[in-house]
Amino acid sequence: MRQRALVVLAGLVMAGLAVPANAEMQCRASRELLDVGNPLDIARTAVADDRELRIVALGSSSTQGYGASNPQFAYPAQLKMKLEAAMPGVTIHVWNKGVGGQDAEEMIARMKTDVKPEHAHLVVWQVGTNSAIRRTPLDKFAEKLRAGIDLGQSLGANFVMMNLQYVPAVVALPDEEEYARVMSDVAKEKHVGLFNRFAIMRSWYNDGMPYAQFVTNDGLHLNDFGQKCIGKLLSMAILEKVNPKRLTGGANTPH
Amino acid sequence: MEAAAPPYLVPGRDLRLDFFRGLALWFIFLDHIPNNVVSWLTVRNYGFSDATEIFVFISGYTAVIAYSRMMLREGWPRAASRIYRRVWQLYVAHILLFVAFTAQIAYVSISRNTPELIEEMQLLGLGENPYRAILEAALLKYRPVNLDVLPLYIVLLAGFPLALPGLLRWPYFVIGLSLVVYAVTLHFDWNLPGYPDDKVWFFNPMAWQVVFYSGAVLAVVAADLSRLDRWRQLVTVLAVLYLLFAAFIALSWQYNSLERLIPDWLARQIYPIDKTNLDVLRFVHFLSLAWLVRLTVRPNARFLKWRLFDPIRRCGEHSLQIFCLGTFLAVTAQIIVAYYEDSIVSQLAVSLAGLAIMCLAAYGASWFKAGPPAKGFVA
Repeated sequence: MRQRALVVLAGLVMAGLAVPANAEMQCRASRELLDVGNPLDIARTAVADDRELRIVALGSSSTQGYGASNPQFAYPAQLKMKLEAAMPGVTIHVWNKGVGGQDAEEMIARMKTDVKPEHAHLVVWQVGTNSAIRRTPLDKFAEKLRAGIDLGQSLGANFVMMNLQYVPAVVALPDEEEYARVMSDVAKEKHVGLFNRFAIMRSWYNDGMPYAQFVTNDGLHLNDFGQKCIGKLLSMAILEKVNPKRLTGGANTPH
Repeated sequence: MEAAAPPYLVPGRDLRLDFFRGLALWFIFLDHIPNNVVSWLTVRNYGFSDATEIFVFISGYTAVIAYSRMMLREGWPRAASRIYRRVWQLYVAHILLFVAFTAQIAYVSISRNTPELIEEMQLLGLGENPYRAILEAALLKYRPVNLDVLPLYIVLLAGFPLALPGLLRWPYFVIGLSLVVYAVTLHFDWNLPGYPDDKVWFFNPMAWQVVFYSGAVLAVVAADLSRLDRWRQLVTVLAVLYLLFAAFIALSWQYNSLERLIPDWLARQIYPIDKTNLDVLRFVHFLSLAWLVRLTVRPNARFLKWRLFDPIRRCGEHSLQIFCLGTFLAVTAQIIVAYYEDSIVSQLAVSLAGLAIMCLAAYGASWFKAGPPAKGFVA
């Protein structure tokens, strides 16, 4: 009898702790964090001259949308929706080429088959997390990134790398920031864009946003909110470069 | 040693099965509505495992109860035929659910002029290549949004006739084999192929079978569990400690202040807590819960018969229908919340309305199953 009462009591205490959870916080990031650091000239010319923007999202499970309750919530589909809304009259294509579990090397192997046929103006390359989890040596990781960018750029596209997600499973790694740093270095060296997802999501966390709001229960993948928010912020980062006129003073100005 | 009859030979219904399965169905419905404030009542917020484990475990347990007596009485071929008839029913239900689910979204897309909503609810793959998607749906490889549980159950039950004779004769061998398959699957990262081509099954049947067979084996050897009672206090203390640990971790996802207390070396051991391949942390969490339920809820516990809980038990009795209905209604709820307003009131309203509809359907199914009233009653 006493045992049962204890179980009930424990349950009530936990429920009491959990229910008044933080109210949902807004999706946002500072303007500096959204600067991809590259003019994305090919994409900008395509928008200006051809009224068309062809984007390939190459990546792993984040790109595929594992953890979202609907594939349409994955950031590539969200990116398409946001770009279409922001640039009426411009035809937007976004191909989702995310395959769960893959690291840099496996994705390079797909560049020819998955990226080339779409004649993309812009490749968003989401990479780094699986390499960090598998403890790929940093110099080998950098080498793979360079090889991938060279191969991709030979296909005539701008590049924006998207780095690791800031989630418990990644933060717990001993050297996750090293992988993020290598990506920044390679981006500078190769003159490609970098969407600093790691720093953006860390700013959410440091602003007091609980993991439950943007991560699934597995502690690794983005949930609906996380995916949608990354899609929205990525669209803002791309618009800033591709269609700068729209943003000055517009409603979409990041705060 | 007194030979207590194994549960599968005990006549009468174990009310715990209907009750907890009904509860799991309620939880699955509530958890399938995104950002639902009512889903705070469900287990997944207080630990690693969720309603899926409860549902799969009870499915294994009841499969033994339903088919073992038949096998002993009428032979394996008849029992196997009955199991495959059930598999067929599940398959038909899944396909029907797929059609109803898709039709619901198509209806909203066509009748409402709300492009954002339409695009959000669109089923990727179906619009791009409908013929291929229909084929892949029939093969269970294409399972859009939330339609993952029934295919898992179908695959598990389809393999069950092969295991049934062994289960009754050598239950410990079967659970050993099941654990080996689980371990090997985790080690080699096996899974079944999905659609689109690079996807796999969200619930990996080769991993999740271990929950199903844990339930099945316990239906055979439940009496042996009393041997564990020698270490009852130790097991209980360990289970409670583990549940508290899991609850702490789960709460840390809500409170960054708690999260900062977790050292990196510990977090490295914990994460990721894989759902697709049934992380060991989830499995142990479920077993700990099941142990406490065994201790605290007897098969004939009085509260199980309370009228208050009658709706939950009814839902558990008609689990297939209620599961399908719940999955369908969860999308309805999602659409309503997204279309009209996303507030605590609307979440509460759609949650309660959905549960009410599920219960009504369960009572209807009971009424129908009972057949016409006896003649003497009229006279």
